Amino acid sequence: MDPIPARAGIGLRTPHHGLVRSDVPAAAWLEVHPENYMADDAALADLEAIRLHYPLSLHAVGLSLGSAEGVDDAHITRLRRLIDRLQPGLVSDHLSWSVSDGRYLPDLLPLPYTQEALRIVCRNVERVQEGIGRALLVENPSTYLRFADSELPEPDFLAAVARRTGCGVLLDVNNIYVSACNQRLDAAETLAGWCAALAPAAVFEMHLAGHAIVSTAAGTPLRIDDHGDYICPAVWALYEQAIAWRGPCPTLVEWDTRLPSFEVLQDEAARAQSCLDRVAQQGSLAPRAPRQVPMPSASHAL
Amino acid sequence: MPSDDATSGVPLAQLQTRMAAALLAAEPAQQGLAEALFAGAQPGAAGLRVHRHTVLGALSQALRHSFVSVDRLVGENYFDRMALDYARRRPPRAPQLDVYGSDFPEFIAAYGEAQGLPYLADLARFDWQIDELARTRPADRARGADGEALGEAAYSGVSLLLEEGGARLRFPSSLRCHRARFPVERLREAILAEDTAALAALDLQPAAHDYALWRTSEGVKVQALSPAAACFLGTALLVRDGAAALAAAAAALTASGNHGGESALVDLLTREILTAGFVQIETSAPRPAN
Repeated sequence: MDPIPARAGIGLRTPHHGLVRSDVPAAAWLEVHPENYMADDAALADLEAIRLHYPLSLHAVGLSLGSAEGVDDAHITRLRRLIDRLQPGLVSDHLSWSVSDGRYLPDLLPLPYTQEALRIVCRNVERVQEGIGRALLVENPSTYLRFADSELPEPDFLAAVARRTGCGVLLDVNNIYVSACNQRLDAAETLAGWCAALAPAAVFEMHLAGHAIVSTAAGTPLRIDDHGDYICPAVWALYEQAIAWRGPCPTLVEWDTRLPSFEVLQDEAARAQSCLDRVAQQGSLAPRAPRQVPMPSASHAL
Repeated sequence: MPSDDATSGVPLAQLQTRMAAALLAAEPAQQGLAEALFAGAQPGAAGLRVHRHTVLGALSQALRHSFVSVDRLVGENYFDRMALDYARRRPPRAPQLDVYGSDFPEFIAAYGEAQGLPYLADLARFDWQIDELARTRPADRARGADGEALGEAAYSGVSLLLEEGGARLRFPSSLRCHRARFPVERLREAILAEDTAALAALDLQPAAHDYALWRTSEGVKVQALSPAAACFLGTALLVRDGAAALAAAAAALTASGNHGGESALVDLLTREILTAGFVQIETSAPRPAN
């Protein structure tokens, strides 16, 4: 297993397989969605060849950690097989649900942040961690609605999941921005709330991405986390704030829709890397966090 | 699950069931949830619209990716109508969307709007076969009759002897037979090439059309087969017995009115099997010329 370095990596998508496999372009590390590689097929053959040249992280979208009916053992088994085969440095999924009554809805659906939901998510995260034999990172999703039932702020909810299960946190900075804007909240203050709720050492990875702005039926703007554009200036500013708090941390540039050339992704990753380098330089004067991020452990009390 | 500590009363399991139903509902009256469930700056309906768009868009896109020629033939709007109707009735049971839609062809066969296109379900079945094969891991170091790379690993499937002590035929593990009621190979080819003249010239009366499909490192290969050759290959793949495959082919020739006996059988094998790109012949004798 190659650990994921505290550097800027790139989300690998199928249209770039050929190029990455043949040219081995520069990237500190790569991240993929494991659901796209769960059959012993051509895509996995590509990824196994690519894996020889890059540290790899698996970012799942199908575990459905928030499902009241529990997580699917068959899916955990498939993920475990892939982990054994690819030896990724990190494994993650989202604080959301996508399975109800055995039906899979391909989206990261929101949870009410209640005590009941907290118990369910913790039970599911523990089940997954047992099944894959290692700790998971859990990511904050973008949200478009908020439940009246919620008893806990989202950062407190995820911090409690991490404390109770020993999982790590994947902090998606774009998602914080999108969710804050959609709830008409100040994004910097919202991030400050996250920093107050979490210990820096609980965060093992960050995500950056672009998003879209649409107009609702009522004519109000709504930000959609479509991973289909350049990272916007406001998200870069939040990222600087986040890594100043956390210290250098593996950071992924995600781009899924309207996928540009790999060079564009490299440019975005280079910009993230320059932010990381600046923080590392400041950190070398006053050390704060290790450059090499240790793996979270299921028994790790945060 | 009991919700002793749920707050205003909707247990999570129930909330998720209701939300999933609202997201998949076709009727606008069933697409909402009580606004009292939601708080914050956005109405719940606006958030639900975003999630509905994401869920249905992803499912439609997954089907479009697997049923390429169906999509091209009927156009985006028609395809979306069929795909959304299917997705709402038969949402996936697992998150691997590349294998979602195996029974979409049967759905199309029964889809009212598609009754005027009797070949559409057949075309969908063929699309699915091609897509499924394209996803399989290509054999390494392979070299075929038409020059593409194929090798030992590619022929790890069925092998059979035609006669005691004679040549052994070896087939790729990916090789499969496919029967259609319409000329789906030429139909798909014309659609993907946007060749309207070729489309117009196709005879679309129902009749048996047989194909061999297999995967090489270059992609999926298709070869049309006569009914007798299809009987030979189908039997060979099923029972792995050369004599049984020959008997099936001979019976098919006779049934089609060909009473040429052994010479007709030899002719069939030479034309359609021994010279095909999907066969490797293990013999010290030279391979028959094309």
